Amino acid sequence: AEYNWRFANLYSRGTAFGEVYENFAKNIETMSNGRIKVQTLYAGEGVGSSGIFGSVKTGLITMGATFQSLNAGELPAGIVEIGLPGGTSDVAELSTLFHEKGWGPILERAYAEQGLVWLDPYIQPAVYVLTKEPINSIEDFKGLKIRAPGAYGKFLRNLGASPVSLSWSEIYTSLSTGVIDGSIGSNMIDHRDGNHVEVAKYMYPLPLAGAQVLPIIVNKSAWNKLPDDLKAIVKAATTAHAQEQMNKSKLWEAEAVADMQSKGLQWSPAASDADKLAWKNAGASLYDEYAAADKFSKELIDILRKEQM
Amino acid sequence: MIMTAIRRYCLGVHTLVAFIGNSVSYLMPLLALVVAFEVFSRYILNQPTVWAYDTSLFIFSYIAALGGAYAQQQRAHINVDILYNKVSDRLKGVFNLFSFALAILFVVIMCKVSIGKFEEALEFNYRRQSEWAPQMHHYWLMIAVASVLLILQLSSDWINSLHQAITGKPLLPELLKDAQEDDQ
Amino acid sequence: MIGIELLTGILLVCIVVAFALGAPVGLALGGIAMGIGYLTWGDALFNVIPTTLESTHFSFILLAIPLYIYMGQLLTRSGIGDAMFNASQMIIGRVRGSLAISVIVVCSMIGAMVGIIGAGIMTSGSIALRPMLERGYDKRLALGVIMAGGGLGILIPPSIPMIMFASSTQNSVGRMFIGALIPALITIILLITYVVISCKLNPKRAPLDPVPEVLPTVKEKFLTARDGLLSLLLIVAVLGSIIMGIATPTESGAIGVVGAIVLAILFKRFKPRMVQKAGMQAALLVSVAMWIIVGASVFSNFHLLMGVQNMVAGFTQDLGLPPIVIIMLFQLIMLLLGFIIDEFIIVLICAPIFTPIAVALGYDPIWFGILMILNIEIAVQTPPYGFALFYLKGIAPPGVTMLDIYKSILPFVLLKLLVLITVMMIPELVTWLPNQLMD
Ligand code: NA
Ligand code: NA
Repeated sequence: AEYNWRFANLYSRGTAFGEVYENFAKNIETMSNGRIKVQTLYAGEGVGSSGIFGSVKTGLITMGATFQSLNAGELPAGIVEIGLPGGTSDVAELSTLFHEKGWGPILERAYAEQGLVWLDPYIQPAVYVLTKEPINSIEDFKGLKIRAPGAYGKFLRNLGASPVSLSWSEIYTSLSTGVIDGSIGSNMIDHRDGNHVEVAKYMYPLPLAGAQVLPIIVNKSAWNKLPDDLKAIVKAATTAHAQEQMNKSKLWEAEAVADMQSKGLQWSPAASDADKLAWKNAGASLYDEYAAADKFSKELIDILRKEQM
Repeated sequence: MIMTAIRRYCLGVHTLVAFIGNSVSYLMPLLALVVAFEVFSRYILNQPTVWAYDTSLFIFSYIAALGGAYAQQQRAHINVDILYNKVSDRLKGVFNLFSFALAILFVVIMCKVSIGKFEEALEFNYRRQSEWAPQMHHYWLMIAVASVLLILQLSSDWINSLHQAITGKPLLPELLKDAQEDDQ
Repeated sequence: MIGIELLTGILLVCIVVAFALGAPVGLALGGIAMGIGYLTWGDALFNVIPTTLESTHFSFILLAIPLYIYMGQLLTRSGIGDAMFNASQMIIGRVRGSLAISVIVVCSMIGAMVGIIGAGIMTSGSIALRPMLERGYDKRLALGVIMAGGGLGILIPPSIPMIMFASSTQNSVGRMFIGALIPALITIILLITYVVISCKLNPKRAPLDPVPEVLPTVKEKFLTARDGLLSLLLIVAVLGSIIMGIATPTESGAIGVVGAIVLAILFKRFKPRMVQKAGMQAALLVSVAMWIIVGASVFSNFHLLMGVQNMVAGFTQDLGLPPIVIIMLFQLIMLLLGFIIDEFIIVLICAPIFTPIAVALGYDPIWFGILMILNIEIAVQTPPYGFALFYLKGIAPPGVTMLDIYKSILPFVLLKLLVLITVMMIPELVTWLPNQLMD
């Protein structure tokens, strides 16, 4: 092939999401008539989960699909992009935000500064918190030790919980022995795959983030080598991929929930209006903090604020 | 004249690397203390710290990387010594010339890329992804320093091995003795 | 572009040559990856170093290694390690090989604390290797028993590779942990039986302590028992801290360190110098282990980026062989991969490729996962390349050569192969207990 690309994602070989990324790679090959060949790399295949961002930047891999939370220290604006706790889950609203209200160009600049090309993002399902004991009112979060990284940790701290840092592979044992009282997962599918419901049964019904917006990133110099027609083809494949993510992740989220329910998952009681308000306020106070920390985050949050006025 | 300069160089490297190697050992109790404190703070005080997780990993990485040159000096790095133990001292010197050159290749590249990462970390204010979000630049600087120390030690060992390959004896036999000393 | 098969061949030749010349393992693997990588890929490959460094140095799981090594060093230098073995010998009695049996028991207990291999080998190795060699134990028996015992770290729950297997194939971690118990018990019993029989047949392998001229007084016996009991408390404390949810398996090492210092104070053996000397030796061992892990990971990341996993995946498609032969073939592939790749990566590559095939053939995925763990235990201790071998060399006294270590493993590898084959032939050994307990 004229162009040999390596494309890394966070999922294991053979998983449902892994297949969606594989389809994306194949689609680029087919649409470009084989002029671009894409080798898909799954979890653990050459770069660690938090290394995808840096590896696309240096060109070790050409294209990547990552979770911005894993790279919060490198690109703070990514945390705002993925969706701060309490943000909207309305897909139409998100689409307007990115395509019409100006988030897209800001993010293009933020990624470009680091030598990355930001391609149209796709949406993955919500983030929920799983606990060992039912949460009957928001007061019950007080004093709970919950494994939650970065922005989610700060959010839970606002509710009186104590966020704990743990590596992913210790969540199961730690829930089972009681080192922690709960844990968030990247989404429902992540909770299911980690088998966490075997050792913690209660899912809190309010999501920490209603929808997560994830970009496809490409190494800038590899991108610039492509002629315009191939650039257009990769962009078109990205759009198709976003659609497939949307269709399938909804389905898989439902499947994961059903799977877990068959293993004993229960929902904590529905939140009262007061709880919903407290939940919202806990998220709102993060806006200032994130806006103050980074120039691109500020631009994004300014737009968000203008919307909410 | 040249030989004296080379001797001085090797002795200087030896002293520097031994000093760093010794200093690193004080990080060991500190590491255990930090992890134990997190357990205490989380379980007894019911207040997990925001800093212990990253701090323990930083201490761990400092021990791991900075000890490399001292391990080379003490010949503690693991090797498969089956053939090596059977050959003459001169041939051992020849083998070392190859081995140490291969090692230097790796560490020189490590040094170069970590300086690059250090500059990048400064430019973009890179941090850990955690809530505490400590700076990353010192880690990359430390890796560069650890690489330079290892390169110095390997180069000194390479010179010694060259001497051994030619004459059958190491240049500074007294320096190799340390390694065998009882550490009790 | 060079084909992955040819590249793999070239890399293997380079490893064999570099190892034969006695090059430092980790640094040589890194150097080979850089050299061959530059020739086949170009200097963009150098960027594999920072991402690999970050993912190994900032791996919280590996933090168990320094903590457990330091605990081991403190126990040795304070004489508490000796107290443990003296007491256990008093309990087991004047049996040939009693020290080796104690090592297996202690390793099983460490295995119940941590989920990786290195911690067990390096802790029990630093405590027990010197006492065994000093009492005239056969070098191969002493080395082999530590390595075989250390491997129990991933077979006895908690186990990191099992958690990785369960998540990448969407199986129950709990079932795997419980399913591993009977195979683990079989392994422990086989290891102990082997030690007893081989020492009976060849008494020179494990000399009995000379019968003391004067029989120990009641007071001496009491002191030995008291010291042994106190050191047992340490194990109870560490294990208890995990079970009671005070600490994670990784953090439990720090509890062990604090406990060892407290015990040293109780035994009136505490000296600040001891803490520093133990720190010195532990730091050296940690650094040695981590430079191997970094070099080996740089190497395997390069190999993976070039697509070795696709070679494995391609090889297993459309085999058209009888099911059990396919399972055996999988085991063989994993054993071969163990020659060049570390245990975590084997799980990451092979679990998702092999497990769906095994399940489609009608096999139980938990059973298949346990086979994989048993296989990995063997892979990490077979020459020329295996982390268990390197860890053991790291803690062994200067007189022990790699050849001693290579020779020591044979009977123990055969025992573990026996367990692997038994479990392969009788799946109920894995599936029975979880079915009893979990349904
Ligand atoms: Na274990
Ligand atoms: Na092996």
